[in-house]
Amino acid sequence: MSEQINNNDLKPLTQWVNLQQPLAFDDYCQAGGYQGAKIALLQHQPNEVLEIVKNSGLKGRGGAGFPTGMKWSFVPMFAEGDEDAPDNKYLVANADEMEPGTFKDRLLLEGAPHQLVEAMIIAAYTIGANKAYIFLRGEYHLAAKRLQQAIGEAYQNHWLGGNIQASKFCLDLYVHTSAGRYICGEETALINALEGKRANPRAKPPFPQVSGLFGKPTIVNNVETLCNLPHILKNGIEWFQGIAPNSDAGSKIYGACGRVKNPGLWELPMGATLREVLYQHAGGMQDGLQFRGLLPGGASTDFLVAEHLDTPMDYDSIAKVGSRLGTGGLIVLDDKNCPVAMVLNLLRFFAQESCGWCTPCRDGTPWAVEVLARIEHGQGKKEDLDTLEKLCDFMWIGKTYCALAPGAVEPLRSALKYFHDDFLQHIEHGCCHYDPASIAKRTKIAQSHIQHNNAANSSMAGQ
Amino acid sequence: MSENKVTIFIDDVPYQVSSEDNLLAGVLSKKLNLPYFCWHPSMGSVGACRQCAVMQFQDKDDNRGRMVMACTTPVTDGMRISIKHADASEFREQVIAAMMTNHPHDCPVCTEGGECHLQDMTVMTGHSVREYQGTKRTFTNQYLGELVGHEMNRCITCYRCTRFYNDYAGGKDFGVYGSKNQVYFGRQTDGALESEFSGNLVEVCPTGVFTNKVFSTHYTRKWDLQSAPSVCSHCSVGCNLSIGERYGSVRRVMNRYNADINGYFLCDRGRFGIGFVNGEQRIRKTKGISQQSPVALTKLDVAKVFSHFSKKNFIGIGSARASLEANFYLKNMVGAEHFSPGYNDDEMKVAAQHAQLLAANNPPSLTAIEHSDFIFIIAEDISQTAPRMALSVRQALRNAAKAKAAKIGIPSWQDSAVRTIGGNLLSPLFLLQSTSSKLDDVAEQTLLLPPEQLSTCLVALKAVLELVEVNNNHNVEQALTDIAEQTSLGSKERQFVCSLYKALHQAKQPLIISGTDHVSAETLQDINNLMQALKSKSDVTEPALIVVPPSCNSVGLLALLDEKSLSVEQVLSGLEQQEGNYQGVILLEQELARLSDSQVKQLRSSCQTLIVLDHSQHRLTSIADIVLPVAAVSEGDGHYVNYQGRAQQFFQVHAPVLPIQESWRWLDNMAEIIGVHAAELHAGTNEGAKKSACESLRQLHQYFADFLKQWPTLLASKQAGTQQAATARMPHRASGRTAQMANISVHEAKTTQKIDDSLTFSMEGQSAGQSSDMPFAWAPGWNSNQSISQFQAQINGQLIKQKAAIFIPVANLLLNNPRWEIAKQSHKVSQANASDHQTLKSLRYVQQANIYFDEWQAAHTAEFKMLQPSNLMSISTSTAEQFGVKKGQWCKIIFSATNDKIPLVSQSIISQITINKQLPETLAFGNFSLSQLLSQQLEMEISLACDQEITDYLSHYNDGLISAKLSKGAVLERLKINDQTIPIRLVSGGLDDA
Repeated sequence: MSEQINNNDLKPLTQWVNLQQPLAFDDYCQAGGYQGAKIALLQHQPNEVLEIVKNSGLKGRGGAGFPTGMKWSFVPMFAEGDEDAPDNKYLVANADEMEPGTFKDRLLLEGAPHQLVEAMIIAAYTIGANKAYIFLRGEYHLAAKRLQQAIGEAYQNHWLGGNIQASKFCLDLYVHTSAGRYICGEETALINALEGKRANPRAKPPFPQVSGLFGKPTIVNNVETLCNLPHILKNGIEWFQGIAPNSDAGSKIYGACGRVKNPGLWELPMGATLREVLYQHAGGMQDGLQFRGLLPGGASTDFLVAEHLDTPMDYDSIAKVGSRLGTGGLIVLDDKNCPVAMVLNLLRFFAQESCGWCTPCRDGTPWAVEVLARIEHGQGKKEDLDTLEKLCDFMWIGKTYCALAPGAVEPLRSALKYFHDDFLQHIEHGCCHYDPASIAKRTKIAQSHIQHNNAANSSMAGQ
Repeated sequence: MSENKVTIFIDDVPYQVSSEDNLLAGVLSKKLNLPYFCWHPSMGSVGACRQCAVMQFQDKDDNRGRMVMACTTPVTDGMRISIKHADASEFREQVIAAMMTNHPHDCPVCTEGGECHLQDMTVMTGHSVREYQGTKRTFTNQYLGELVGHEMNRCITCYRCTRFYNDYAGGKDFGVYGSKNQVYFGRQTDGALESEFSGNLVEVCPTGVFTNKVFSTHYTRKWDLQSAPSVCSHCSVGCNLSIGERYGSVRRVMNRYNADINGYFLCDRGRFGIGFVNGEQRIRKTKGISQQSPVALTKLDVAKVFSHFSKKNFIGIGSARASLEANFYLKNMVGAEHFSPGYNDDEMKVAAQHAQLLAANNPPSLTAIEHSDFIFIIAEDISQTAPRMALSVRQALRNAAKAKAAKIGIPSWQDSAVRTIGGNLLSPLFLLQSTSSKLDDVAEQTLLLPPEQLSTCLVALKAVLELVEVNNNHNVEQALTDIAEQTSLGSKERQFVCSLYKALHQAKQPLIISGTDHVSAETLQDINNLMQALKSKSDVTEPALIVVPPSCNSVGLLALLDEKSLSVEQVLSGLEQQEGNYQGVILLEQELARLSDSQVKQLRSSCQTLIVLDHSQHRLTSIADIVLPVAAVSEGDGHYVNYQGRAQQFFQVHAPVLPIQESWRWLDNMAEIIGVHAAELHAGTNEGAKKSACESLRQLHQYFADFLKQWPTLLASKQAGTQQAATARMPHRASGRTAQMANISVHEAKTTQKIDDSLTFSMEGQSAGQSSDMPFAWAPGWNSNQSISQFQAQINGQLIKQKAAIFIPVANLLLNNPRWEIAKQSHKVSQANASDHQTLKSLRYVQQANIYFDEWQAAHTAEFKMLQPSNLMSISTSTAEQFGVKKGQWCKIIFSATNDKIPLVSQSIISQITINKQLPETLAFGNFSLSQLLSQQLEMEISLACDQEITDYLSHYNDGLISAKLSKGAVLERLKINDQTIPIRLVSGGLDDA
């Protein structure tokens, strides 16, 4: 956290964050925690909470930006004694933060674990779930420890378990640490993994809201999405929408990484421009480097370049210029790093993380890697660019089983558009211009070739 | 499938397709080509391979369209799609190109070559130029046993194998490993596949990852196989097979689609058990007949031997594995009063009860089983004795999940969606049995009881049905308590019957399955009583009933039995008492396995002439006076009757080397001399009026119809059939036929003339699909068995050319003979006995059924012998405690008889022990057989085996495996030598054919 927060009211998500030592239960309550949950449980019926969330305009912060209230409203509600009622419903917090260049949830998980616990109580109450899971990225050891501690405290203080705060509502909350697959960020693959099955996405329909974990109605929400709930309940809809009057409601944690002066995370009102995040908060490019482009929301979004810098970072505006807000974590590319190598690196990641279920993703991503690797190493041909274009089309939305491959394609297809010259240079010159070693090697080979030719010529001349 | 047809537009052409299936099924049912991999007509859609992409348009004016996967798209009225659209066809080509990045392109050495779905689909999409320049990923293959080969590099990751093996067939030892483009399908470690349906992987896999290992070792391309439609001879289900042959040896069995029975799948006994036809145990020469000509055995040679027996009386013992024709011929030849099915007294009583049940209930087909929502299996391990039926039972259990999915609008073909929704939800299956079975994992409740006590539950259920008037669960428990007081019903039994009753009450299509092999006549009678009680109840849906007999023609034999039929005991005593009366005994494909050695001796000594007709050697062939080698199923024509009474014809795949000929031809040769004794001849014909020989099956049927009264009531409709256009046994591409004999003579040999049926021994004739009985499945562009969709009226429907099934009536004539009735007294006595024995703490040992070894013919297959497991016995917890033994320990078990009627016998067995918590104290089961003398009440003594005993046993066990392996090698060597001198038959008839 580089910038000091001046106006806490406008930074609800991070106001309680303390990475050194998160607030313990008592301190958290004193700071105003568990008030939102209290309001929800004791003053509202579940359907009233649902209305509040619906009307707040909260959209999912995991990347897709689907309205949270609407997602919840698909969960079937049953009257008491209804024969068709399932014996359970589930709430799952998606804390499997594996998107390259994204680390916003980690901040919330490590810095304010009680906030997530409180949020999950509210969400579970609304949809009528009595069991909830936090599906946590396996590498987040510290978060796991702190969450466990917070959950323990919540049980002790009757915020979890049976008859929470003397209401009729019961909730058990578990932390499940992932075995580590990017695909688990996909909610149905996550559910499969949680059931102990292979992490393949599921066929939809049925959507998890109707038939999810163990075949029961299930809601999977991103950590950041959930963390908004206590504040909405506590402060009201108008306050929430007032944070960002000209954009999607609420605040958003934006981040930046790459060769910027000041990489980090900042909670800003929804709709801050790319320029604001890049130059005002991240401090601009490091000395001696020029800005080339950026991925606005993690590795699976399209490149944006200088002309797009004044775009507000909300779902619709970023989509209009041909990319996605995604997680809101910028990955910034400078002019001394090879865009081909960057795309190759990303594609390697996606090829590695493909679950292997559908053909375009399973066999298409490694194919793209093979072509990109050849181009990067100076063995590319012009036709390879056509192959890449074709592969981008091959793995596009609607042709694959889930969104992994289209996401993998996004940086590639936009790189082909914005950095076309770099690809051409690699192919025509047979080397990468950003890599001094490769240029030197290339020069050496060329020189030995000339010498060899000269020698041959002279020997022939001798005959 | 239903009649809900709607109109859809495919490339602007209107088509009528079913709205209850997906778009891919609809497109294929119209015989349009659309490639696919992960979809399977029987396993539904998962949308993994993305191969069946088409463009879907909103309406007529929509030019852009949206790409959808046909297999996951429901059919809606008026929908407009395009298969030919450039975007869709380009995408389909790309999918193949992507799959092919790692495929090894080793088609020349691949067993699947020439019938590979991947090849077909590649050609269909037009992908022909490889653009990928990278290296291919490679895998290590596994040893999966003797039946299925594994070559993972060929895998295109369609997930069909695991969906079949794990999801559909309930296998546990197979799965998916790894991820990204390194997905591995196999077992955790090397080892034989445990599922009874592993062979289906060969057909389910769209390429050559899983191959028929037996076929691979003596391989020929599909287009060089000569095939004929056949029927499985290994159990009573009657699965339809396509048997392939080349150069006089049977090469393989493939599934032959039958919408009512096996659908797309076979069990491993049916697929690999055909090995017996090529086996070392086959009888190839006659015994007791001297051959005059050096060239061949003639009818005259046979006539000379049999001329002594003219007009003499014989006892004929038929069998449940001989064809309907042969059994019928034998019965009429010797006369009904001299005919025996080869059953002993107990088996005759069972047969009588079976006939009674069959006469009163119409057993459902396998397809109908799959619609049941409640199944109760009594005393029959169908997973081993009728495995294909067990597979259908598994599918039926998914009906609860399908119903749940339907409630939220998910159709049943959305396989992964239905499995997600269903979770572990299963329709109720109740198992009442004496051994554990492969269906235990999907059963709602399993109750293990000694065979004699199984009836108590049936009696209790019947009593409950009679006591409880209306649907009132409280009443059930009350009624059970009342019943328990009167009988010796334990709490486990009470609970079982209670849940059974409740589940039965809610069922809309209940089904009860039992058997005849391990079931007493009394139990069958109790089932009959139960069925009667159920019929009279208005608040319970009357269940369908299936009784599973052991053999392929058990029901056919049953239909021939009447009050005069003899048991083996009667045969033996008859021979002793009226020695002069009988010339001898004719054994028709009957090994009399249940006869004790002393009874066999008795038979031999009291019988003047013992004539054995069989295809394989057994203890009776070695002591017979005359042995006549008969055709195995692939070498002849005839009919088998399945458990339902469905008569199905099997066709000759290849003419056997003479003197091997069908049993009915031998009987025909004999009848000409001995005469026909049947009392049921049509009026106006003389006894023994057999004058001219029957040259073909058609002539035989004509002769039966003309002279023998019973025949028209058996297979009447069969006669109405007119001569069909001939169908080719060989595909059009068959190569090398004209060169078959080139190493002997360059002159082209004449093809064998068909005389029995409407199939030719050549590539000439109408194409396979035009026939009601397809010798093999092939359609233009579809070389694999998946081509079957081109011949179905609609996906999973009947074949377009399917003839109506013929069911033969089973009259209940056996019970006219009071000898086969169950005495009221004896029933009670046996129950009393059971309780007596309980107090005596004696034990009942039951041998588990086994898919590979239970059927006499299939058990000769060398590959099966190599799968022989070592001894394993399950005992109850208290027995284990009593003897202080633990799970997994090698023990020495001494069984001894407690019945004072039998002289004291004992037998010791070295076996591993496992403990089954559900077993009652008085029951133990294992995979080894005990001496027949020890079949009843036993005492058991268990002690830990010493090292020497274990070593001795294991070395003996290993010797068995090694000798099986050697015999497999020997068979293969002989077959390959035989390939050099191809037997050519000019006519597929019998002796003396032209």
